[in-house]
Amino acid sequence: MIARLRADGRVLPVLIILIVAFGIIARSNATYAQAGTYAGIYAVAAIGLSILLGNVNQISLGQAGFFGIGAYAVAFFTTTYSWPFWPAAIVGVIAAAIVGLGLGFIALRFRGHYLAMATLAFGLIAFGIFHEAKIVGGALGINNIPYAQAGPLTISGITAYWFAWLVAIGIALLSLNLLRGRTGYAFEGTRNDELAAEVVGVPTRRYKIFAFAYAGALAGLSGAMYAAFLGLIVPDAVSVPLSIDILLMVVLGGMGGVSGAVIGAALIGFLDIAGHQFENTREVAYGILVIIVVIAIPGGMVGIFRRARPQPLAPMSPELARVANRPRIVVPPSDAPPLAIEGVVKRFGGLLAVDEVSFTLERGTLTSLIGPNGAGKTTLFNAINGIGRLSGGSVRIAGIDVSGWQPHRIAQLGVGRTFQNARLFNDMTVLENVVAGAFRAEASSFTADLFGLPQARRAERAANERARATLARLGLERIAHIYARDLPFGDRRRVEVARARAADPWLLFVDEPAAGLNARERAQLQDDLLRIRDEGVTLLLIEHDMKLVMSISDRVMVLKFGRLIADGTASVVRNDPEVVAAYLGTAG
Amino acid sequence: MLQLLVAGLTVGSGYALVALGIHIILRATRIVNFAQGEFVVVGGLFALTFVQLFHANAWVALVGATAAGFVLGLVYERLILRPAARQGEIALTIATIGTVFVLLYGHALVPTWGSLPQPLPAFTGDVSDALNVGGVSIQYQSMWVLGLLFAALGVMYLFFERTYYGKAIRAAANNPIGARLVGINITSARAVSVGIAIAVAAFGGAIIGPITLVGGAAGVAIAIKGFVGAVIGGIESPVGCVVGGLLVGVVEKLLQGQFSYGIADPLVYSLLLIGLLVRPQGLFGAAGAVRD
Repeated sequence: MIARLRADGRVLPVLIILIVAFGIIARSNATYAQAGTYAGIYAVAAIGLSILLGNVNQISLGQAGFFGIGAYAVAFFTTTYSWPFWPAAIVGVIAAAIVGLGLGFIALRFRGHYLAMATLAFGLIAFGIFHEAKIVGGALGINNIPYAQAGPLTISGITAYWFAWLVAIGIALLSLNLLRGRTGYAFEGTRNDELAAEVVGVPTRRYKIFAFAYAGALAGLSGAMYAAFLGLIVPDAVSVPLSIDILLMVVLGGMGGVSGAVIGAALIGFLDIAGHQFENTREVAYGILVIIVVIAIPGGMVGIFRRARPQPLAPMSPELARVANRPRIVVPPSDAPPLAIEGVVKRFGGLLAVDEVSFTLERGTLTSLIGPNGAGKTTLFNAINGIGRLSGGSVRIAGIDVSGWQPHRIAQLGVGRTFQNARLFNDMTVLENVVAGAFRAEASSFTADLFGLPQARRAERAANERARATLARLGLERIAHIYARDLPFGDRRRVEVARARAADPWLLFVDEPAAGLNARERAQLQDDLLRIRDEGVTLLLIEHDMKLVMSISDRVMVLKFGRLIADGTASVVRNDPEVVAAYLGTAG
Repeated sequence: MLQLLVAGLTVGSGYALVALGIHIILRATRIVNFAQGEFVVVGGLFALTFVQLFHANAWVALVGATAAGFVLGLVYERLILRPAARQGEIALTIATIGTVFVLLYGHALVPTWGSLPQPLPAFTGDVSDALNVGGVSIQYQSMWVLGLLFAALGVMYLFFERTYYGKAIRAAANNPIGARLVGINITSARAVSVGIAIAVAAFGGAIIGPITLVGGAAGVAIAIKGFVGAVIGGIESPVGCVVGGLLVGVVEKLLQGQFSYGIADPLVYSLLLIGLLVRPQGLFGAAGAVRD
């Protein structure tokens, strides 16, 4: 993720030089200037879709609808009410963002192809409205839109070229800010694994909606510039082919980040002039090109500039290393027990998976939850974490009733969770995974991220430092630069614990951390867990490895067929006849 | 009113076949084929070519177009869908959209096809020949369309339910790993599924062509309306797809009777959003059957 952003950062200055050079050449050539201007205008919309598609993994085939909203707002307010360009454009962008929020909200219900179809339907509906609404000219659209004015300057001809690209580059820089901060990590986490993102405190639904709104706003801005530059807008200019063109730019240039979108917009702009007399053939070529690119070069043009392997991290500064080695003591927010559950029931249809379970955890202890396969241990974890609804009972965390809360809200209280199958963000490095966790404890708003305000920079620095410190404390520094997808299984587990720990939780749920680990890795894991407990974290552990359970647990609870059948210290539970029966079966 | 119903069922047959094709490909490969409507257009043009080049009658053209569609489907699967599937779901979606571009603009480049819609001879007599029933005139071709739609359904039912190969394809779609374990070649099962789906599209293009004309830029709209039908009826259920497709045709014609075309179409598309939101499994789908 960061490697991709670095590639973006490296490519962008080159692109700016090319854009300036082209502008100087195009000064005396109206065709070039016009084609270049369109490229700049479309680049803005393409950046929005690139982020939506490449960073959040949400497809939209309806970007022309947002483009139309921006374009028609400018057309309508400048002609009917004689507004100047700027306020009309702002209204258009805000309207597009609001409609984007709405579409994002609807999009939560869909995945993959369904989302593609739903957004395509949105684009068609928007087109239908533009086409039918008499107030915006119906099929004939609106013409005589005045040129935009910037002070004494009329934005037309080559001025429009500079203006369009100034806006596009500005948007590119703001978007890069957004992507390197908390928002970028939240996007990337959502894209990789929604559930894992939720349990490190990312409200994934909100970020998805937000990504739609951002992409919508940028398409709206693109449309606003288009209307003022061209001087007229017709419905056919904002129909399905435009949505597909924007998608084409993003795919050709490379999804994700900003440079790919800029390259794609410029490329299509160029091909449009070069091939303008080859109607049909040009589109067929685009179609073939896009198929070849998605199959053979999924990273697009900009992918060529990405370095294949991220470099190992530079050693930590002595000051940071000192901080890293100090234990990081956490304190729960209240004196209430970290976790108190009362009569928790979870049913799946007719199956009673968790049956009236009640217990209270004491602060700073390590409790193990054991039981035969299918006893309902993970189901109980999920119920406490807010994954799926409770069928009955209540869960209080630090005295707060969290029944019915979503996982990210529970996580934000300071509750961590790891999964049986180690859900890492596979397309992120180990360090980035842990940074994503560390952001839970940092505050930064979207606006701060977008404009790179001090708050955002502070959050970014703090999250990075704590992530590195956590990795150092758990001895994972040497693999910090490796992509999670390339990790061996044992390391995946330990990285997941590190990611959870970096969020500074005071209550941590760990689901079968030792499964599949070798003896050495188990010993490391045992050390990690005890260290985390000694830092004040209350731990609840599901584990099948009895040696590990009996040697590190302050308390052991046994679950069988969804009911707690034993509860006490390791030695008490070990000798409980019912527990022995549950594990070994009884004679007769 | 009844007149609109007849017209609706006729165009709806086309949507029903698109929906069915989308269903077959989705079930076999988990792909929603955005290019399905383009294959209907191309199928109609295949039939036209058989008529123009070989002076074939409409029936021979229908068989020829369907067979050509099957072969085209195999090529499509091998050259585009299979390699794109390795790059993930979004890549696949984009690849099918790329195919829309290739077919939509590409068919206009073929000398005898061109970009303008062309007439295709009716199966019997003239296209405008119609039967009058109590003031409602029903084109003979409309009857052929509906009859052939149900004939095609019958053939598909027999193939998928009664033949060994059809069952193997269903098994491969239901549980690829299990199917492989019992010795089914799932790669070829998928390829054949796509072939069948595209053959169904081409068949649809050839039977409805005499009424709607063949060629032109209608493919995108056909694909989406077919998908609307599939969603409303239940994309996991073949019967649902057919009923949904017919329903969309009827609703479209009724709306066009009330409003202008420009208003009717967006209303039909909004059915897609409403359907997806209110009953994502469709009228004929089991609750909870919706997968991504």
